[in-house]
Amino acid sequence: MDFSFAQILFFSSLITLFLGAIVSLCLGKNAKLARLVGSSFAIAGSALGLIAGSYFLISGEILQINLPLSLPGFNLAFNIDRLAAFFIILAALISLLASVYALGYLKHYKNNYNLGALGFFYNIFIASLFLVPAADNILLFLVVWELMSIASYFLVIFEKDKEENIKAGFIYFLMTHAGTAFILISFLLLSKYTGAINFSLMSATAGQIPPLAAMTILLASLIGFGMKAGIIPLHIWLPEAHPAAPSHVSALMSGVMIKMGVYMMFRIFTDIFPVTPLWFGIVVLIIGAISSLLGVLYALAEHDIKRLLAYHSIENIGIILLGLGSGMIFITLGHNGLAAVALTASLFHVINHGIFKALLFLGAGSVISVTHTRNMEEYGGLIKKMPQTALFFLIGSMAISALPPFNGFFSEWLCFQSLFSGANLGGSLGLTFLLSAGFLAFTSALAAACFVKAFGVSFLARTRSHEAEHAKEAGPAMLSGMGILALLTLVFGVFAGSISGLLAKTSLGLSSLAGSELESVFNFNNLQTPQNFSAVSAPAVFSGLLLAIGVVAAVIYFITRKNKVTANRTWDCGHDIRQGMEITATGFARSIIVIFRGLLKPTKQTSIEYHDDEMRYFPKRQSIDVGRDDVYQHFFYIPLKRVSYWLSEMAKKIQNGNVNLYILYIFATLIILLLITVR
Amino acid sequence: MTLAFIWTIQIILVLGLSPLLIGIIKKIKARLQSRQGINLLQPYRDLWKLLHKDEVISTDASWIFKFSPYLIFGLTIFLAINLPVFARLNFPYVGDFLLVAYVLALGTFFLALAGLDIGSAFGGFGSSREMTLASLAEGGLIFSFLVLAIAAKSTNIYAIAGFVSQASVFYLLPIILAAISFVMCLLAENSRYPFDNPSTHLELTMVHEAMILEYSGKRLALIEWAAYNKLFIFAALAAGLFLPFGLSFGAGIFGMLIYLAIFSLKILFIGVLVAVLESTLAKFRFFRLPDLLFTAFILNILAIVLIISL
Amino acid sequence: MTPILSQFSYIIAIVVFLSAVGFHLSRKNINLVFLYILQSSAIAVLLFIPAIQEMDFLLLLAAVLTLAIKAVFAPYFFLRLIRRHELTFTSNAYLSLPLTLITLALLAGLAYSHVFKSFVDLSGGNMHAVSLAIAAIFVSIFLSINRRGALSQIIGVLSLENTIVALTLFLGVVDSSGLDIGVSFDIGVWVVIAVLFLSMIYKQFGSLDVSTMKKLKEE
Repeated sequence: MDFSFAQILFFSSLITLFLGAIVSLCLGKNAKLARLVGSSFAIAGSALGLIAGSYFLISGEILQINLPLSLPGFNLAFNIDRLAAFFIILAALISLLASVYALGYLKHYKNNYNLGALGFFYNIFIASLFLVPAADNILLFLVVWELMSIASYFLVIFEKDKEENIKAGFIYFLMTHAGTAFILISFLLLSKYTGAINFSLMSATAGQIPPLAAMTILLASLIGFGMKAGIIPLHIWLPEAHPAAPSHVSALMSGVMIKMGVYMMFRIFTDIFPVTPLWFGIVVLIIGAISSLLGVLYALAEHDIKRLLAYHSIENIGIILLGLGSGMIFITLGHNGLAAVALTASLFHVINHGIFKALLFLGAGSVISVTHTRNMEEYGGLIKKMPQTALFFLIGSMAISALPPFNGFFSEWLCFQSLFSGANLGGSLGLTFLLSAGFLAFTSALAAACFVKAFGVSFLARTRSHEAEHAKEAGPAMLSGMGILALLTLVFGVFAGSISGLLAKTSLGLSSLAGSELESVFNFNNLQTPQNFSAVSAPAVFSGLLLAIGVVAAVIYFITRKNKVTANRTWDCGHDIRQGMEITATGFARSIIVIFRGLLKPTKQTSIEYHDDEMRYFPKRQSIDVGRDDVYQHFFYIPLKRVSYWLSEMAKKIQNGNVNLYILYIFATLIILLLITVR
Repeated sequence: MTLAFIWTIQIILVLGLSPLLIGIIKKIKARLQSRQGINLLQPYRDLWKLLHKDEVISTDASWIFKFSPYLIFGLTIFLAINLPVFARLNFPYVGDFLLVAYVLALGTFFLALAGLDIGSAFGGFGSSREMTLASLAEGGLIFSFLVLAIAAKSTNIYAIAGFVSQASVFYLLPIILAAISFVMCLLAENSRYPFDNPSTHLELTMVHEAMILEYSGKRLALIEWAAYNKLFIFAALAAGLFLPFGLSFGAGIFGMLIYLAIFSLKILFIGVLVAVLESTLAKFRFFRLPDLLFTAFILNILAIVLIISL
Repeated sequence: MTPILSQFSYIIAIVVFLSAVGFHLSRKNINLVFLYILQSSAIAVLLFIPAIQEMDFLLLLAAVLTLAIKAVFAPYFFLRLIRRHELTFTSNAYLSLPLTLITLALLAGLAYSHVFKSFVDLSGGNMHAVSLAIAAIFVSIFLSINRRGALSQIIGVLSLENTIVALTLFLGVVDSSGLDIGVSFDIGVWVVIAVLFLSMIYKQFGSLDVSTMKKLKEE
């Protein structure tokens, strides 16, 4: 394959997706055809995009197209370098597998909803996910970004029969546009001071931006793109919007869309700006540490399975920002070799998280489609009814808890190594890195605890509800989507060395690291950090584990082959074992929530109804409500809301409906402008 | 060839000596309680007996319950390869301490799932308590290794062992703090007092025992043996990382035998330490344990602050 | 001082520092007293070294007196107080245990940071011991701040005195033996008065927790 062929592939993937959108819209009410057509075009488009992206990532060639339009400041400029190609691969891979899954999953929607509309918005959404990394021009980027937001909004409110979905969509819409406002500020300042309207041209002159403007640009981008990525405290839309969307869309949103915020952070902080101020890198690092720990603690408090997964996305974005922040700090201090490792860790975690989070959301979707509830407390025992889904969900849980030999372990390993090398720098900076490493250690351990809860309560023990009792395994399309993702977690784990090598080349391609050497060794056999501080070998770990377990199983089987195994009831001190005896999700996590009560502010409300209100000895009904206080609403958003209401009330006075006053406004503005500008 | 030979010896050591270590600990605890205590070789007999018994498996159990013992035991064998028994051997591909910590976490993960799998009340709360303690202890464990890694400028366990054996006295305080913290994490991860009582079946006090309550026959043998191995591995890590004496003998058979003798003495010392600590401390109330684990973590932070400023 | 001595003084500094940290971790008053005995003995050992080296009778007297008063006399009074009023457990601290330890870690970081770099450079060969002694000073001050019980606060002040003595010895500042003798007498008298005072407080208020002592006047 050569360069022009890859170029053609990329654009044909976009065309396929647009075609798919239009065709499925036309098919409208015919549910089966709309489902098949919408998903197939998405599969085809994603596959083409995947091949094109892989070519650009592996070969390192840059696709640059610039078609000027007659509008000022707006031209159709595309620039796909290694970084953009990587994010396109991420988008294409996840959308490919999510669309395969959707072939089977959408059957559950056939009665009530317009699958044609879903196909339309879905294909447009995927196309926008390809276009966002590729867009070079500022205005083109904003157009595609908006396209992405609007398409996902319609997907979020797709199940419009449920009231809470509409509310979730509204919060999502509001916050994404608030983020866009900050992005706009940042872009306007960038283009003013660098004199360029294309991102690829900005890095040449970015060094001359005056410090105050640079600070504003950096902070505005952090807030704007951070809102999309879901950093704390700008995250409140995430746990509302991701559960509301259909599951394969949630997979795409969690696995890919929030990473687009990370993509632009990479682009602005490490590609356009040659060096960011030290305090800014530290801010990113601290935001990453806080988001990761708080994300996982909030996830522990949830028993809605999709909200739990959404909070874990916040946690993993925190980990990605830990890598990015350390990279930025190393670049500022001139340790380019260490920076390359940190940025590689961050990028590796981007794709790993995309893979295992998509896997988990698809698994959750299979379960939800059969049990019709998102409440984990009503699942149970599903491993016997849905064995393959359970296996895939287990693999996803192991990957997200960073357990070897899956991919999550290796990207967190790299992240730890970059934090450790930062700790070695000494001083208060070293202490910050050290504490961040501590946050990361606690985060990954708590994530494992959370997924023991999620997997254990959902799939193990006995069924807890009628629907779970009658659950059936998912269809072949859904299973293949999940199965391939599960296989990929293992493959990315075993090949962690080679993939990190490729990603290291990507990070060295960023202009702030231009001309640096990779001081560590990343190849198939060996992941090694600078000065040989640590090394781990992915294939050795995998083969070692497999060998050890295999040998044990074989030996024990041989020794004890004459023993009998009988089946009987679980022992519970001689009582009859009943449904309610298993531990609930709420109960499982309660200890940890009580330990961290300073951060989580758990609440407990009890109410008792007595048989005789005066005597109050014999309770008739007692209920206990355990919950969690929402700190952000309280301290951050409600005061913000009050201030904006107050401002709007003040502004209302200008518009009192009197036509004469409005004409006066126009006239006065005209006169003032004339006075000021004409000299 | 020598690599495979040494690994085989390490595996045999771990598998063979761990029940003896447990026997010694139980004997010392019993004597401190003015009892006779079990025969030192009793754990071997118990394992033999369990391997020859039939099993009863719950109807609610799935393949996770059936598979976990093999996995957990296999993991202890994998970890046996990472031990710094013969510290001059520098194999770069395994022996990274983060790998050790996360392989242990993998074992705990499946043990907790197995406890949930059978759907009894005991298994459920056992898993909940175990995951709570494990999630807090992991920070302390990783960081006690990190203290030494930053001092030794490498995370490879063999390299760390080599460094500590030659460290100047000015590293003494950080190493003491890291050792205290490592002992706390050892007690936490191996379900010893004050975190857990390894020989109780009372609902109020069990954590590890609650998760494995339903196991019987060969699977119980595997899990018990894996628990013994885990304690031995922790003791070997402590011996190798914090008590690095006797590493400078020759490479021949004679040198290796002396290595093994000194190693056994160090393991014995740690066993005695664990037994004495268990006998003098009472089991803490569950919600006092996080304070203890956070203390372990912060002592490590203190130690690292001291090392970076050196 | 010679290198051997600098390593030895580092080990003494470790004992002093760890006992200071140990005060924060103890829950029983008896442990507080024992740790104080340990700390005072370490200081006394530090005083014995130059005394034996130079064979100065006055220095020896100072060292013995320090040992007698700090490690025998004062703890005896405290133990008597504890036994008479059965004050087995210390009262609470304002910060919980993990937060206390984080503060201690930060204080140790402060002692080792650039703020005290120039001060430490004065000491010559004893750098590590000096930094550790400064950290121990901060830890002792924090003990008085953090604890509610009057006994813990007194121990904090005494520990502060110990650590300041350690710091001056590590810095090699020559102090006259007369100073040491005088300081020891002061401590002795102070301890007696403090113990009597604590007894009176306990009889009046029923506990040594300072936050309960709101009304100081008789109503």
